[in-house]
Amino acid sequence: MSWRLDVRCAGSGGQGLALAAVVLAEAGLAAGCEVALTQEYGPEARGGASRADVAISDEVIANPQCGVPSILLALHDKAWRKFATGVPAVSASLESGSTTAVVDRDLVAVAPDAPGVLALPFEAVARDELRAKVVANMVAVGALGRLMGRFGSEIIESAVAKRSPSAFSQLNVVAFRRGWSMMDDLLPAAVSAGR
Amino acid sequence: MSQQLIQGNEACARGALAAGCTFFAGYPISPSSEIAELLARELPPRGSVFIQMEDEIASMGAVLGASLGGRRAMTATSGPGFTLMQEHLGYASLAEIPCVVVDVMRGGPSTGLPTSPAQGDVMQARWGSHGDRATIALAPGNVQEVYSLTIEAFRLAETLRTPVAVLYDEVIGHMREGVVLHEPTPEELGRRTAPRAAFSPTFLPYEPDENGVAMLPDFGRGYRFHVTGLMHDERGYPTSDHVKVAELLERLERKVEPAVAAVPPERYRLEDASVVLVAYGIVARTARAAVDLLRREGIRAGLLRTRLLWPLPAPALTEVSSSAELVVVAEMNRGQWALEVERLAGGKTVLAPYLKAGGSVITAEELAGHVRRLAREGVAVS
Repeated sequence: MSWRLDVRCAGSGGQGLALAAVVLAEAGLAAGCEVALTQEYGPEARGGASRADVAISDEVIANPQCGVPSILLALHDKAWRKFATGVPAVSASLESGSTTAVVDRDLVAVAPDAPGVLALPFEAVARDELRAKVVANMVAVGALGRLMGRFGSEIIESAVAKRSPSAFSQLNVVAFRRGWSMMDDLLPAAVSAGR
Repeated sequence: MSQQLIQGNEACARGALAAGCTFFAGYPISPSSEIAELLARELPPRGSVFIQMEDEIASMGAVLGASLGGRRAMTATSGPGFTLMQEHLGYASLAEIPCVVVDVMRGGPSTGLPTSPAQGDVMQARWGSHGDRATIALAPGNVQEVYSLTIEAFRLAETLRTPVAVLYDEVIGHMREGVVLHEPTPEELGRRTAPRAAFSPTFLPYEPDENGVAMLPDFGRGYRFHVTGLMHDERGYPTSDHVKVAELLERLERKVEPAVAAVPPERYRLEDASVVLVAYGIVARTARAAVDLLRREGIRAGLLRTRLLWPLPAPALTEVSSSAELVVVAEMNRGQWALEVERLAGGKTVLAPYLKAGGSVITAEELAGHVRRLAREGVAVS
């Protein structure tokens, strides 16, 4: 049975969501999948609500743009407002046609308190534990990679290292691992099907 | 060879480098700027030339000068810049100066929608410059194809001595996909014709070879000759001889025809198709998804994906017009290529184009819905 995952990374321009999406696409490519990454260009990329969508599949991706994302990552209220509209059914499991939303606990206040919405402290962990707020995106990539359940941590970790600016390579890998482990407690409940 | 995750515009720049491009003159413009950005970084260390010009008119002039000097030369732009380049493109066609012009299409007219996709420059690529200008325009549909068709654009430009346009939209330009950056073979690179004889007072620079391509030498090779935008004879000097002018125009049109065989269309589920979607670029991808949707519902749909816009891939279009009950040209404009397909079909089939202009891609669902509606209304589709 063929499969396809659509991951939408949304936030405010400058939060590194495009890099997060590039890392996931790079991991997909390394795993031998077909990938297509599209993103919103223009003034949004410089401070407005921006998004980058990654489609990952085991077959040719005809339509690169995702309709309903399998996973929606939002790191900013305005990104949630702009890109969570049209997300019909928020579900805790990766079922086709439904969306699991992953939001930053402190940066996104407008997301509903629902079973399919995971509110996680990406920025708080980056700031307080890793002493670098800017790596919140890679903490989120760790959580997302685990939630996707398609690739092992090594393959995504290599993608993080490959795509990071050299000065941030090590820190980004640490952040990625932290995000991956963040899902330890949540995962059995969060992902019940769809793998 | 392993795949690399790169953007459409980067694939274009990589393709140009692989094709031996050693000269770029341009003026950055969204959504094509990454091509200039990458070539500005890559060309100078190779001893090649990158010039940021004052505008697109001058860019095209510099490209033509470099090409006459023997360089494989290109520029990249978007609609507003493509408009400014038309004058020199006409000159290049008539004077038979090879060059590659990439137009990453955004919404128009005028400055329009700088960062949104469109397919509104299709007719401009054909008729943007005055006179009966023969031209070649390619339309890649994915990032891999941006790479390979940029290489092919150089081959066609060089071997046929003509400007070649590469047209794709903002989504393909900015999309990242896995791409194999293969090294082109000498055949894939092609090379210019060269004069058969050394320079003499009777030398004819515009004497065509057996393929109708002028055997013009590069400047600086010891030949003395004249290049002009006026109608000219084989000596390269102006002529108003009606017979010679008519022959020249006919030859210039005939010489671009090999592009039709060189860049064949892709056929998807066409064998028994009664509904044929015809699309290019980004829309061909959603059209492919629409075909699968419709097939699941029992509608025998197929897709003819063209990678060549000009000259018109007439054989394939005639073929589907004869075999299909319904032909749907889908494009992101108010109806451009659809009119050409209609003209070619000559009433042999039902045509119901799906057109969308405004800055977003036609979705598979929209396209499938269009066909479903026609089927419900009993328009063709048994």
